[in-house]
Amino acid sequence: MFDLNVGTVGSVNIMTSENGGLSNDQIAEMLANKLIYISDDAPEPIRLQAEAFRDRVRNLAQYYIELARKEERASICAKVREAGQVELANAIGRL
Amino acid sequence: MAIAQAMCTAFKQELMLGTHNFATNGNAFKLALYAEGGGGKSGTTATLGAATTAYTTTGEVANSGSYTAGGGTLTKVAPTTSGTTALTDFADISFTTATITAMGALIYNDTNSDKAVAVLDFSSNKTSTSGTFTIQFPTADASNAIIRIA
Repeated sequence: MFDLNVGTVGSVNIMTSENGGLSNDQIAEMLANKLIYISDDAPEPIRLQAEAFRDRVRNLAQYYIELARKEERASICAKVREAGQVELANAIGRL
Repeated sequence: MAIAQAMCTAFKQELMLGTHNFATNGNAFKLALYAEGGGGKSGTTATLGAATTAYTTTGEVANSGSYTAGGGTLTKVAPTTSGTTALTDFADISFTTATITAMGALIYNDTNSDKAVAVLDFSSNKTSTSGTFTIQFPTADASNAIIRIA
């Protein structure tokens, strides 16, 4: 006899924002969640070590996401300034 | 509970009938957002669970920002196996510049008569205000993937 065990649906993670896009912190959190899954059943010492590692990954990701956004804004500022929109370029630069 | 997380029973039957194709060049699947407590468009409330058979507009959140009726199209990741478990995955999906309060979601087959696949329960209301509403799918492995058959 063929016994197919039941299909299962995983749990999703929801991230929301107000008056703008997701923050660097939220994106870093999403990355860490996707990269490192820590089982609820993991033994305590392993779980603590894994959580510490995930925190480090999240902090590192946050730094580089912030840097990437800053560099992207700098590139946009330069293009906007080249197009003669100095005030707009300055406003973007202040973000 | 008006929205209960489940793999839809009709979907399980339809798998045996070959109705759903999750290959990257297969069917198109969409994700629609739903509200409870009269929070859906026109004051409607969603009732979703294992008995759901197809996409419904009842209880669906109103259009806002990049969210329009029917929800967003999911980007599929080809089905694979891990040990004795078969699994499939989707890329995370975001609705931007949107004011949305949702309690759950329905994944459905947009190619085949909007047939229901799975109901997702967010456990509590999640709200974006003129912002981004992102659904992040779990790690695609045998223990966590969004759709698994063990």
